[in-house]
Amino acid sequence: MDALLLRVAAERDRSAFAALFTHFAPRVKAYLIRLGASSGVAEELAQEALLSVWRKAHLFDPAKASAATWLFTIARNLRIDAIRREKRPELDPEDFMPEPGADADAGLMLAENEGRLRLALRELPVDQIQVVELSFFADKPHSQIAEELGTVKSRLRLAMGRLKRAMGGDA
Amino acid sequence: MIAHHPDDALLMAYASGMADEATGLILATHLHFCSECRIKSAQLETIGGSLLEDLPPQPLAAGALQATLAKLDQVKPYERPRPPRSRDGTPGVLRAYLGSDLRDVRWRKMGPRLAYAPLFRRGGMAVRLLRGVPGAESGPHTHQGLEYTLVLQGGYTDVTGSYAPGDLQVMEAGEHHNPVADPGEDCINLAVTTGRLTFDSLIQKIAAPLFGF
Repeated sequence: MDALLLRVAAERDRSAFAALFTHFAPRVKAYLIRLGASSGVAEELAQEALLSVWRKAHLFDPAKASAATWLFTIARNLRIDAIRREKRPELDPEDFMPEPGADADAGLMLAENEGRLRLALRELPVDQIQVVELSFFADKPHSQIAEELGTVKSRLRLAMGRLKRAMGGDA
Repeated sequence: MIAHHPDDALLMAYASGMADEATGLILATHLHFCSECRIKSAQLETIGGSLLEDLPPQPLAAGALQATLAKLDQVKPYERPRPPRSRDGTPGVLRAYLGSDLRDVRWRKMGPRLAYAPLFRRGGMAVRLLRGVPGAESGPHTHQGLEYTLVLQGGYTDVTGSYAPGDLQVMEAGEHHNPVADPGEDCINLAVTTGRLTFDSLIQKIAAPLFGF
């Protein structure tokens, strides 16, 4: 999928785009339905998300994230914009404070670790995968989730511990 | 070095897109200062990518691909907005909400040592800047809801520790503290609150609603 996305960016390759569409549009639609969108709205926004892929392909950096993660951020932001009618405050990728002693290469580790992360996610105990999914698929403001946390918070901590070990870093 | 970070649940709320805009703003501003949380946040996004990849696909209507292909020539490549750079180090993400640099903010006085500037309210969350001269106290108070405080300049100290630029303090409902601005530069914080603050002193009890606290 990463290679297809790079071909769209470099050559405006329509057949590569069609392959990305076939793979991701039904997943983006499923994501939006999971978060409570009607089938019609999810269908429309899934097409819009893929149109954004065409428009933004030159920003995709395979060293930083996989195609699936990049698609996720597009679908996430589109949902906030179109369904919640809010903005997602985003860090400007070219404007942040460099921190002395920070590991500049740490970001480069991400893409190669994604496969391991995916395996670790699939191997999480059921109660832990539930809280991770709740965090991504339950449409509640954070304050509301925070009120309900309790055991959720400790489960999330356990899940994060396992995932971090899988990604090979303590960060 | 940043000493006080958001916990995994908060960072996950931001990465997953579940955080409301006010919480998102204070977290994004923390990321401006904190490389550790920038990396964590990117890692959390990869969880989103994995979950998306593993979702059972929902087929689109027949003709959806053709309809989208037909639009490709009508849309322009996306260009990332290039806002003017801050002249005083104001984080870009915050600058977009201020409409100016921190040094150009118009402050409203709350007594001789404290000032504030409201940014926005949404969904029960109030976002504001707070400013105190060295030694200024907010006055002892208890939170009825959550409070997130991020230091932008200077610093402050309370019973839980000292906070410097980039540090994020989370106060849960019912917690009580009395932050005091550290010596040096004026302390400027970004604060997000749900619910009102209850001040111990009578004067502040009367004044707080006037200032929207």
